[in-house]
Amino acid sequence: MNLSGQQAVSPEGRRRVQSQPMFHRVFAANPMAVRAVLTDVRSRFRDNVDDDALGRLELVLAEVMNNVTEHGSALPPGDPGGRAPSIHLCIVRHDHGLSCAVTDDGVSLPADCLRPRDLPDVATDGLPEGGFGWYLIQDLTQALCYYREERRNFLAFCVPFQPEHPAVPAI
Amino acid sequence: MNLTVNQCDDLIVITVDESRLDAAVSTRFKDRMREIITRTRCPVVIDMRRVDFMDSSGLGAMIAVHKAMPGGLALTLDGLTPNVARVFRLTRMDSVFAITDSTPQQEKRA
Repeated sequence: MNLSGQQAVSPEGRRRVQSQPMFHRVFAANPMAVRAVLTDVRSRFRDNVDDDALGRLELVLAEVMNNVTEHGSALPPGDPGGRAPSIHLCIVRHDHGLSCAVTDDGVSLPADCLRPRDLPDVATDGLPEGGFGWYLIQDLTQALCYYREERRNFLAFCVPFQPEHPAVPAI
Repeated sequence: MNLTVNQCDDLIVITVDESRLDAAVSTRFKDRMREIITRTRCPVVIDMRRVDFMDSSGLGAMIAVHKAMPGGLALTLDGLTPNVARVFRLTRMDSVFAITDSTPQQEKRA
């Protein structure tokens, strides 16, 4: 299925459906699977999305899915009793950017992740080696939202084609 | 983890022969790089031309390598591709690392 439901009004007043590429995948969270999915996402949108937007999309998705891989299991990664969360990824291209939905059945996302944040403090504790992931996600996305329903985390956001000027109008 | 180490007279050039510095390889990269640089007595240049993608775990590994450099010796990153340069720029780590680009203009990708 490569069509999405981007709708526009035709001259006759009827809604017609514009064809836009989309991507959907279900997979178990682990670093090699994330890498393979990102490679496939790049191939899927290569012909329709410029390199800059594609690079930002790939980085955001990597950060989101790495977080699920590293923190989503109730047990530490590699624990034989642990189970890798199942990730559902859906991306739709629209006129202003790429809308993404990432869901997983891992543990709840800590509320702190979604609070506006700045870069880790360089001055207080030497150079930080982590803490950049959620900063990058927040910096590169628009309309980032999260909710948990039953046993799944739902994260949705848009990666705009024009990062400097918010392109998605407020509803 | 594919790294190529070239010892020049007064410089070590480490070429990263991986297209991705991501969560799948960042720990190995960090460990292997630390092994190399902690033995060095001269400045290090990391050739990043073949790395097309780096995420925050790759950046974290780079920062660990930066911190592991023996005192007083310079670490320089050379030839960042656009996706890699973006991560350094957005996290403002481009002000912490010495970054150069010695790629001849005609070899750069459009």
